[in-house]
Amino acid sequence: MKPEDTFGYAVNALIQQPRRAGLSLLGVVIGVVAVIFLTALGEGARLYVTEQFQTLGTDVIVVIPGKTETTGMMPGFTGTPNDLTLDDAEALLRRIPEAILIAPISMGNDTVSYQNKSRQVVVLGSTPAFFELRGIPIARGSGLPEGDIDRGANVAVLGKETAEELFAEENPVGKSIRIGEWRIRVIGVNGPRGTHLGQNLDLVTIVPVATGMRMFNRTSLFRIMIELRPGSDIEAVKEKIEAVILDRHNEVDVTCMTPDAVIESLSAIVGTLTLVLVGIAAISLSVAGIGIMNVMLVAVSERRAEIGLLKAIGATHRQVLLVFLMESLLISTTGALVGLGIGFATIHVVTWMYPAMPAEAPIWAVFSVLALSVVAGVFFGVLPARRAMRLDPIIALSSKG
Amino acid sequence: MIRLEDIWRTFVMGDQSLHALQAVTETFAAGEHVAIIGPSGSGKSTLLNILGCLDKPTRGQYFFDGRAIESLDPDELAQLRLNEIGFIFQAFHLVPRLDATANIELPMTLAGVARKERSERARAALESVGLGDRAGHRPAELSGGQKQRVAIARAISMQPRLLLADEPTGNLDTHSGEQILDLLDGLNQEGITLAVVTHDPEVARRAQRVLEMRDGEIVRRISADEVSDANPIFDRGRVGKRP
Ligand SMILES: Nc1ncnc2c1ncn2[C@@H]1O[C@H](COP(=O)(O)OP(=O)(O)OP(=O)(O)O)[C@@H](O)[C@H]1O
Ligand SMILES: [Mg+2]
Repeated sequence: MKPEDTFGYAVNALIQQPRRAGLSLLGVVIGVVAVIFLTALGEGARLYVTEQFQTLGTDVIVVIPGKTETTGMMPGFTGTPNDLTLDDAEALLRRIPEAILIAPISMGNDTVSYQNKSRQVVVLGSTPAFFELRGIPIARGSGLPEGDIDRGANVAVLGKETAEELFAEENPVGKSIRIGEWRIRVIGVNGPRGTHLGQNLDLVTIVPVATGMRMFNRTSLFRIMIELRPGSDIEAVKEKIEAVILDRHNEVDVTCMTPDAVIESLSAIVGTLTLVLVGIAAISLSVAGIGIMNVMLVAVSERRAEIGLLKAIGATHRQVLLVFLMESLLISTTGALVGLGIGFATIHVVTWMYPAMPAEAPIWAVFSVLALSVVAGVFFGVLPARRAMRLDPIIALSSKG
Repeated sequence: MIRLEDIWRTFVMGDQSLHALQAVTETFAAGEHVAIIGPSGSGKSTLLNILGCLDKPTRGQYFFDGRAIESLDPDELAQLRLNEIGFIFQAFHLVPRLDATANIELPMTLAGVARKERSERARAALESVGLGDRAGHRPAELSGGQKQRVAIARAISMQPRLLLADEPTGNLDTHSGEQILDLLDGLNQEGITLAVVTHDPEVARRAQRVLEMRDGEIVRRISADEVSDANPIFDRGRVGKRP
């Protein structure tokens, strides 16, 4: 029997029972859609974060007030740490020779207004080092002024979109705006930078760090970003930072985050997620597989006369086996293909409705779904197909059909 | 062509054993037309199944063209059925979801004959049984006689040398039955060896030789003219009952 004839025979048998074949197919489809969609979310999250950190470079340490025992958790939820101050930042700059850039950062939220236009924005307080560290270009005017970080002039650099919204065609440089109750002079406008580390840098307004802390009544920095000389031993620097903090606070009440550590702990999370997904995949495909097996067992008992006839006219055991295996294989692989199609369509719709939600089905998931469906089709098809193969033709022919 | 030597077929059920065939010794010459008659349960179908290599004797030797069937493995037996033997059943046994052409093509499909040649040969076979205009009909759209003619076309599609028919007219009216018998006669005249199991004296009378069975044994070998309607085995009232 030619392979295409085995295929044709199986297809013909399946389409005669469209409802039954369809139902067992549906089981596979649901499992595959779930697997593809969930892996797409996991993979999307992983890609997003890695991408964000990659643009930061690996020689960066972020010092965050608060201590956590486990890496990967957001720090700041345990205990009440001492303030992380500008003096701490200056001490770090003095005492860590590997640090080439140190950007203390404060953060707040307020309304920025110019004439009758206003807008809610994130107000970041920092130093010129921040622009370098985060790769923010200056499109107009200048960046933050160099010099004593404690002074804090009432100046701001506007994000690209904020500038466009408030000023339209007008040149914002030199104009006076309001941030909350504060009167601030615009000294520059950012070039486009887009979203970085989960923050749309085109929408922020950047002020000197001391100004930012005053504006929002903060005594502690939001965090300190440190860029190291390329090739520095990050772990060693981390220890030095902790030593400096211990010196000043009498305890290590900060967390040092490195992109590597974040990516690593994230990979661990994604790894666990993947394991869970593999579990879900295995369970749903087993359930679907049992459905296929059931349908095939019914088909074999209904088609006893046909099987007997095939044997009587000269079908070998192998041919009978293959005809029925082909049917279960067709159900499982068609289900997988339909499931992949629906899964990808779902991903498309979701990313279209929520553009911020990264979702991208990894290639390995597509291939494992296809491979698993073939395995399930054969595995759950073998029992019914063997039953067909072993039927005694004489007894089979004497049954009605 | 076929030599049966002391064939026994014993079915064991629990502690009872039933000899469906006992000490059957018989020779079928190539091109012969043989009818097998006998009361229900006398072993006719069992004998036909053994002739068709669907069943193996419990004891005894079966030679097909001098080859001992006993020594063939299941694949070789399938090969033999595919190439040398055609089956015709009382219940037709067409695959209901396939049309007449596809049903006729089935043995050729198993044999791996190319699609184009298959449909040409199926068409020719369909013409030869007078159903050239029913190629696309499914079994449900055919009368009993037409179904049996499709079954005959299927049985001869691989040009077998032996044709085995178990009550081929058992489900048909007299007229359709006669058409079937005429077809079988024609095939026999073209040289095919024919063994027909029947309860019908009309069918038996068309054969050259008639074997009468009783309790698993061939009890009489007679010629067609000796077939008598008076033989109690033809008493239709007794068909299906144990004597
Ligand atoms: N698979 C089997 N298991 C047990 N006994 C069987 C089996 N097949 C046939 N027999 C028995 O063997 C005997 C011969 O059966 P067989 O079918 O050959 O009869 P038959 O002559 O064809 O009868 P009928 O005219 O009713 O078709 C019967 O007694 C039957 O019950
Ligand atoms: Mg019988």
